[in-house]
Amino acid sequence: MALLRKTLKEYLFFTEPDKPDDFVLEEGKDEGNESCNDAVKDGSGEKREKTEKVRKSKGVIKKLFTPEREDTACYGYDSNADNSEKNESDVKKESKDPESIKRKTSISKDVARNLEYMRKVYNVPLNGDVVIREFEIAFKDKTIPAFSIFFDGLVDRMLVNESILKPLMLLSNIEIKGKEDDIADYVQKHILPQSQMLLEESYEKVIFGINYGCCAIFIDGVDKVFVADAKGWEHRGIERPNAELVIQGPQEGFGEILRINTALIRKILKDEKLIVEDILIGERSKTPCSMLYIKDIVNDSLVQEVRRRLKGVKIDHLIDSGELEQLIEDSTYLPTPQVIYTERPDRVSRYLANGRIAIIVSGSPFALVVPATMWNLFHATEDEYVRFPYANLLRVVRLFAIFLTLLLPGIYIAITNYHHEMIPTDLLLAIEASREKVPFPSVFELLIMEVSFELIREAGIRIPGPIGPTLGIVGALILGQAAVSANIVSPILIIIVAVTGIGSFAIPNFSLAYSFRLQRFAYIALGATAGFLGISFGLFIMFLWIAKAKSFGVPVLVPYGPTTADVNKGNIFRNPTWKQNRRPDDLNVKSKNSQQEISRQWKINEEEN
Amino acid sequence: MEKISIGNWELSALVIMSFCTKIFLNYPRVMSESAGSAGWILSAYTSLLAFVIFTFMLRLYKKNYGMDLIDLGELIGGAPGRIITGVVIISFLIYFIPVNLREFSENMKIISLVISPISFVTLFFLGTMILAAYFGLEAITRVNAIAVPVISAGFILILVLVGQLYDFSKLMPWFGTGLQEIFIGGLPKLSYFSEIIIFFMLPPFLKKFNNFRKSSYIGFVFAGSFLFLSTLVFLLVFEYPTSTESFLPIFQLSRLINYGRFLQRGESVFLLMWSFAAMLYLSFGFFMLLYTFKKTLKLEYYKPLIMPFAVIIFSLSLTPPNLMSAIKLDTVYFLNWGWLISFAFTTLVFIAAGIKKRKGKKE
Repeated sequence: MALLRKTLKEYLFFTEPDKPDDFVLEEGKDEGNESCNDAVKDGSGEKREKTEKVRKSKGVIKKLFTPEREDTACYGYDSNADNSEKNESDVKKESKDPESIKRKTSISKDVARNLEYMRKVYNVPLNGDVVIREFEIAFKDKTIPAFSIFFDGLVDRMLVNESILKPLMLLSNIEIKGKEDDIADYVQKHILPQSQMLLEESYEKVIFGINYGCCAIFIDGVDKVFVADAKGWEHRGIERPNAELVIQGPQEGFGEILRINTALIRKILKDEKLIVEDILIGERSKTPCSMLYIKDIVNDSLVQEVRRRLKGVKIDHLIDSGELEQLIEDSTYLPTPQVIYTERPDRVSRYLANGRIAIIVSGSPFALVVPATMWNLFHATEDEYVRFPYANLLRVVRLFAIFLTLLLPGIYIAITNYHHEMIPTDLLLAIEASREKVPFPSVFELLIMEVSFELIREAGIRIPGPIGPTLGIVGALILGQAAVSANIVSPILIIIVAVTGIGSFAIPNFSLAYSFRLQRFAYIALGATAGFLGISFGLFIMFLWIAKAKSFGVPVLVPYGPTTADVNKGNIFRNPTWKQNRRPDDLNVKSKNSQQEISRQWKINEEEN
Repeated sequence: MEKISIGNWELSALVIMSFCTKIFLNYPRVMSESAGSAGWILSAYTSLLAFVIFTFMLRLYKKNYGMDLIDLGELIGGAPGRIITGVVIISFLIYFIPVNLREFSENMKIISLVISPISFVTLFFLGTMILAAYFGLEAITRVNAIAVPVISAGFILILVLVGQLYDFSKLMPWFGTGLQEIFIGGLPKLSYFSEIIIFFMLPPFLKKFNNFRKSSYIGFVFAGSFLFLSTLVFLLVFEYPTSTESFLPIFQLSRLINYGRFLQRGESVFLLMWSFAAMLYLSFGFFMLLYTFKKTLKLEYYKPLIMPFAVIIFSLSLTPPNLMSAIKLDTVYFLNWGWLISFAFTTLVFIAAGIKKRKGKKE
């Protein structure tokens, strides 16, 4: 009851908006150089001060428990990265939590205590895949107890045996001419040949390393832990993209391994200004994510905004980039996506070169690219690889596909119920003749078929591989034929539903296709209620909604609404490659030109000759 | 209220949409009624005259650019001046929005939703007005900027497709009901450009006077051309006095499209275009009504006003007992006297503001 009252109140009474101003992508702001006047002007100065206070207080607490570190982790991530924006209450709570204090406390010199603590943290022996190997290291005529800890399956066993345990247990017995009295120095300089290794000083970092496929080595008398990168988990190799196939163009798709994904992009761009900034997301999972951008192209305020949003995500576990997309997008309720979701490194590279930002999540073969406009979602990767007349033909086909997916069923209902005069007489007679024996009203008939089609599609995806296509054929052909024979639906309707379905497959962005499939039902309802007036109503509201929406400060309908300088620059129809001189105007990039004004210099040379 | 900015093309598109939507209602017919077969001359004459007066108004307004009419009212007479100016504009808007809402709804009902009650049809238009007001001016102008070229293309297509029916002899006698009827009697038809008053509420959203002037001029040129073409083509197809009996001129034209058995009668496509234009027109007018009210009374938010005003507009639109009464309110009263508010009142405000400013400088 209270909930109902609250909901009613929310809808019926106006409440003063308390949300902060939306982010607007502006021109020429240097990173970390925002003026104080701006902050005061937009009313966010006070808020920022508060955040600064929180940051400062967090710094104090951190200093209490962990020593200052400047090095970055060998395994590629700074485990502090995700904690940089904890609020005050979190910090207080954490400071009182003994487990949290312990985690951040410096490591003991007593290996037995460390062992006991690690057993407790990892619930050994309850946890079956944690491997703790105790051994002794020979150091200057004495033996020092030590142990290593790692996850079975996450590490490369061969690497652990050959490069970590073997040297520690066997090589330490060989007499090495070294002057070091400190065992940590001795082990680091003479015993362990591992290339990627860090000496960690807090439990938190050690635990993060172990969870991320490292092998930790605790040695008695040393209050530091060797954390060696020994990742060796099983993973998929680089394969062809499944959802974004092209005939002409690169055939590599992202995999689940973050570093391989970032390397794929680096391999394509070969640009030293490409920044791969790491951020951990997930209070518990600490999922490594990378934010990629080209430093001297991208707008700094956009980088700040993306970073702010990523650091502002507070969830326990982050599994896939699809989840992250939903957590950082501007408008949750807008039916159309506001982030580009792609599994192609070449596509991501192109967007990066244009001044956009990519986000890759460890474990997800899909990268997110922001900001996204409606036109980006409508473009396919192949558009850039084929000659421009062909690309434009494909785009016209795609526009037509969008029209079919979104409006065809609604228009069919509107025409058959309200606007018969629009149909040529012969066709009208054919439609009427085919519907003569159908007992249902056309809207009901259409809904039966649309729902059946969605059912077949969903079942085709969920069902195991070889049976899927069979189900599609059985569903589409046999059921459709049977439905017509049984006079449940008319043959013309089968055509309408099939064409609508095919149209939705031609939309390059999977998420956008979903959105149109969903909206199609609204248009059917509107067409059935008020004919073309209803369709107009739906289109008007949809356009208003989209026109209002922004993706990371960029209006999604740009460059047509609002109109910008790019209005004639290949958003609907592609220009020839030599004409694509400038980067998108709406991104306010640092470097406006993507190629020389005359990119085909040979043409001039030819004329001169 | 959030910071709103309007681009150059967006303003031009607003001007085109505001002036031209009435083409889909009764504009060509009224022109024909007033000047007979010379309706197209009257259309060109009023468009040109409106353009000249607008240029003159811009000259008066130039020095106060950045202030809208309400600000100028305040400059002239303080708070009372602001409120008087506001009330005049609000009264103007509250008169023509319900009348147009009723006309659009009635026409829609007659064209395609014959058995639906008028309130049901009106609710669709009202729904778009309410939602558009929630989304705000930026969303309206952006959608308008995209829709205007598409609607214009559709409109021109209709004019071209009826080309086979053009008959220039239908324009004779060239001066229709007479020169006096065109050039003197046609003066009140300036009211067809009454939306001009709303455009002087928009300058705070455009940074530079030159942009405002240039965009308005572009809009005026396109709008004037469309108004002229619509009347001309209408009279080329329907001769006077048959043309005065046509209920919805452009709708009638689209019905005449006939290219064989398959391609004929494009009125349903016209319907989509026409209803979209009506929604844009009414939404823009409704938003400006709310904005003017908010600004007149110096309120912080306009959103709480949306529902009360929607109820008022809806009730007022249903007040005329039938379509003919609504048309009478439009063509008899509004068309004859609307220019007094939109042109005369606005010019007076500009002159008074200019004098006040000059006095202020001397002091």
